[in-house]
Amino acid sequence: MAIDEIVDGLSEVSCDVLVIGGGTAGPMAALKAKLKNPKANVVLLEKANVKRSGAISMGMDGLNNAVIPGYATPEQYTKEITIANDGIVDQRAVYKYAENCYKIIEELDGFGIRFLKNENGDYAVKKVHHIGTYVLPMPNGETVKKALYRQLRRARILISNRYMATRLLTASDGRVAGAISVNTRTAEMLVIKAKAVILCMGAAGRLGLPTSGYMFGTYENAANSGDGYAMAYHAGAKLANLECFQINPLIKDYNGPACAYVAGPFGAYTANNEGKRFIECDYWSGQMMLEFYNELSSGKGPVFLQLKHLHEKTIEEIESTLHKVERPTRGLFQQGRGVDYRHESIEMHISEIGFCSGHSASGVFVDDFARTTVPGLYAAGDMASVPHNYMLGAFTNGSVAGIDAMEFADNHDFAQFDAADVAAERDRVMAPTKREDGIPPNQIEYKTRRLVNDYLQPPKVTRKYELGARRLAEVRQDAKERMIARNAHELLRALEAQSILDCADMAVHASLFREESRWGLYHLRTDFPEKDNENWFCHTLLGKQDGKMVSEKREVEPYIVPIAEEEKDLYDKQRIAVGA
Amino acid sequence: MASPFESYDDLEDADERLQAADPAERRVAIIALGHSGDPAAIGHLARMVDDPDAGVRQQVAMALGEFDGPEAAAALVKLLVDPERIVAAAAADSLAEFKDPASADVILPLVKHSHAFVRMGALRALKELRRKDTLKPALEALQDGDAAVRVQAIGVIGFLKLEESIPALTSLINDPDAHVRRAAVSALAFSHMKPAAETITRALKDEDWMVREMAAETLGLNVNGAVAADQLIASLDDAFWQVRLKAVRSLGKMKIERAVRPIGNCVTHEQANLRKEAAAALGEIAGADGEPFLVMIANDPDPDVRKNARWAQHQIAAKKAKAGA
Amino acid sequence: MPLATYQTSVPVVVDDAKCIADKGCTVCVDVCPLDVLRISDMTGKAYMAYDECWYCMPCEADCPTGAVTVNIPYLLR
Repeated sequence: MAIDEIVDGLSEVSCDVLVIGGGTAGPMAALKAKLKNPKANVVLLEKANVKRSGAISMGMDGLNNAVIPGYATPEQYTKEITIANDGIVDQRAVYKYAENCYKIIEELDGFGIRFLKNENGDYAVKKVHHIGTYVLPMPNGETVKKALYRQLRRARILISNRYMATRLLTASDGRVAGAISVNTRTAEMLVIKAKAVILCMGAAGRLGLPTSGYMFGTYENAANSGDGYAMAYHAGAKLANLECFQINPLIKDYNGPACAYVAGPFGAYTANNEGKRFIECDYWSGQMMLEFYNELSSGKGPVFLQLKHLHEKTIEEIESTLHKVERPTRGLFQQGRGVDYRHESIEMHISEIGFCSGHSASGVFVDDFARTTVPGLYAAGDMASVPHNYMLGAFTNGSVAGIDAMEFADNHDFAQFDAADVAAERDRVMAPTKREDGIPPNQIEYKTRRLVNDYLQPPKVTRKYELGARRLAEVRQDAKERMIARNAHELLRALEAQSILDCADMAVHASLFREESRWGLYHLRTDFPEKDNENWFCHTLLGKQDGKMVSEKREVEPYIVPIAEEEKDLYDKQRIAVGA
Repeated sequence: MASPFESYDDLEDADERLQAADPAERRVAIIALGHSGDPAAIGHLARMVDDPDAGVRQQVAMALGEFDGPEAAAALVKLLVDPERIVAAAAADSLAEFKDPASADVILPLVKHSHAFVRMGALRALKELRRKDTLKPALEALQDGDAAVRVQAIGVIGFLKLEESIPALTSLINDPDAHVRRAAVSALAFSHMKPAAETITRALKDEDWMVREMAAETLGLNVNGAVAADQLIASLDDAFWQVRLKAVRSLGKMKIERAVRPIGNCVTHEQANLRKEAAAALGEIAGADGEPFLVMIANDPDPDVRKNARWAQHQIAAKKAKAGA
Repeated sequence: MPLATYQTSVPVVVDDAKCIADKGCTVCVDVCPLDVLRISDMTGKAYMAYDECWYCMPCEADCPTGAVTVNIPYLLR
């Protein structure tokens, strides 16, 4: 038998709450929903396998944004994020996260997840930023997924691995009614009716192409192909600030950070070719990336992570985390290059572009209850719009989503969808399998992502974006009419290629809509180089109207933690001018 | 089409599969039991701790880590004393994730085991269980001949946060092993009694720089840390900049006004990390006498230093304005 | 357009002598986020079927017998 042979099939199940994505936010959402109503059916659908899926497949080396009493306050954190995100923040969701995240840390600790503690059992919180203290290292954080999986099994969550969700089902009144999915090894289709659906499908990490040219060498888990963004869009949900791309500083050619949050508390820092620090901005942000980019493209690059000045014992301690947790092949990579941190600095570069609210702010628009603009539909984690979330935000907001979604399910019956929608989606999904001849998904994807790099990577130039859009439309047509999948695995890639195309289109549309520059490198438009608070101090929401992509402005909610002018000034003075 | 969901019937033919002649097949069965999440699997796994194959026993030790409580702990305790190191190490790792205090009963006796690795594993597991009756055996373990065991015992004692353990922790300040001294200093942070702070203060003169660094940092976390202000100021001349850095931070955190000048003298140190921390501390203390030092580094080549200097000047101005109003 | 296959060196290597996939083990195949590992019909052992690796390591870390080795893909080595 040939591998991954296509089997024709369609079946249907139903549940109270459907969680799509079993990475970080998803397991927490499923668990909380089930604990809220143990009698209800909770399905956790995952494209890979919940045991090791998502951004934290090999765990996490630390919390970057832990708001722990005695070290930081929710007010302080909310201010910090508001400023880091150039003011475009609905603070309620950020504040709620900040208030709840300590409780979640305690809960995760109870699951057996290991955070760094002093010998008196207190969390060993570290200072990286110059105002707040938010970093809690996890040198033994490689077991996070194991601990989560254990909780899911204990709660008897219905886990469905190797099913890729392709579209959401909605009722005529717009309410969510469930989802359609396809088995990644047999291509059998599964319709899941649900009263409420939570999207936890991660970043759009396979949008840009890594400079190595290896398609799966992305910063984000390469399984995170932006399917959630595409599904939310097609279901009519609004997506916020997609032009605020994610770009990260990484080890050159390797897809992991060096990592400032691990090595920083020990005294390591990012320096230019002269061995000098150059980053002015404090919090990880688009401004920081702009400074990084400028240094790389000036004569002062390359950029390095400097550790040589540290004591041998300190470097050993850093290595024990860097080479074991989150990106364990980091050590193997450096070894292959003959780089020893004791004698040589680590060459750094910047990552390909993507969408990810976890590090920036591009995500499906949600309120402080993780509700999207589609009734019954929720989103959490890297794909939801609460900015600078990181892993702890995914857990915390996943928890918020799980509880509220179950409440919604308890108060609503199933919404009715049109059977024709299922039939149409089945035709769309299976189309690449019906062709005898055509273009394989890897070529469609490569071309899309190569165009993303060529035309969409900041600095953003209007003319380049227009050309990029034209070329992407040609690829889209090829994907629609000529893409071929010869087995179920290729079909998975074919469907992902379509999500990637959707995300590329959204990146173009959102970027052209906001006619100013904001968020440092993330949205640096050469045709509109200045920040324009008068016209653009707002969210942008992208959505689908009559089958077309549209964007609109949305006011930023009034702040609940006011930021004094002088505080803004203080930060602004620390910044270098755009394009300087 | 098969059910789209993971099965919850893992235990159905477990016993039969666990008796397979091929150890590889037994391993596969054990993995499934570990993943089941079903507490009924513990009994099946417990029966496998005497399997003749070390690889199988190692797998059992890992699988039991997916559970918690006395029954799983009892089985793991048997694996912790396994003669094969891979088995014992897996058991120690699994026990370290346990949270149910009731697990302590079966672990406690191993604190007196003849092998240091076992004693260490047992103490490491007891730490997170935070049970009062583990204090006495842990205190006794402070006399252990093996330094790694003493370090784990300190953890058990420190996690309990009982003032009565302060004298014992204090005595470790003269321990021959630097790791032990460092751990003891870290553990003492919780105490509200002055003697603890005094002990940490003494550690500022330890021969090992990492102990001194820990002491300087820990004083900033201790409620009585300020009693050590003068000694912390003296530490600003430490041969290791790492120690000076922590001293600066703790002095800043405690807002020790008489430390402004000595901290100020650090702003010209060649190590930018220290200059940066000194600037931040001057801002936290916000004494007007810090200003001249901040002026000196207003154009520091390092942006992090300049940034903190600007912030510090702002803090000083704000404090002045407040005093004026 | 007709299709051709082309050569690629894959990063994940399985030691057949240690692999117990033929005894029913599916750990590495299960945990791979990119779903690129399969068990060979011919040998009964696991192998990398698709060169779409994130070199993330669960296959190596979770393998009960230490049969799996993850290398850095050549293009970025």
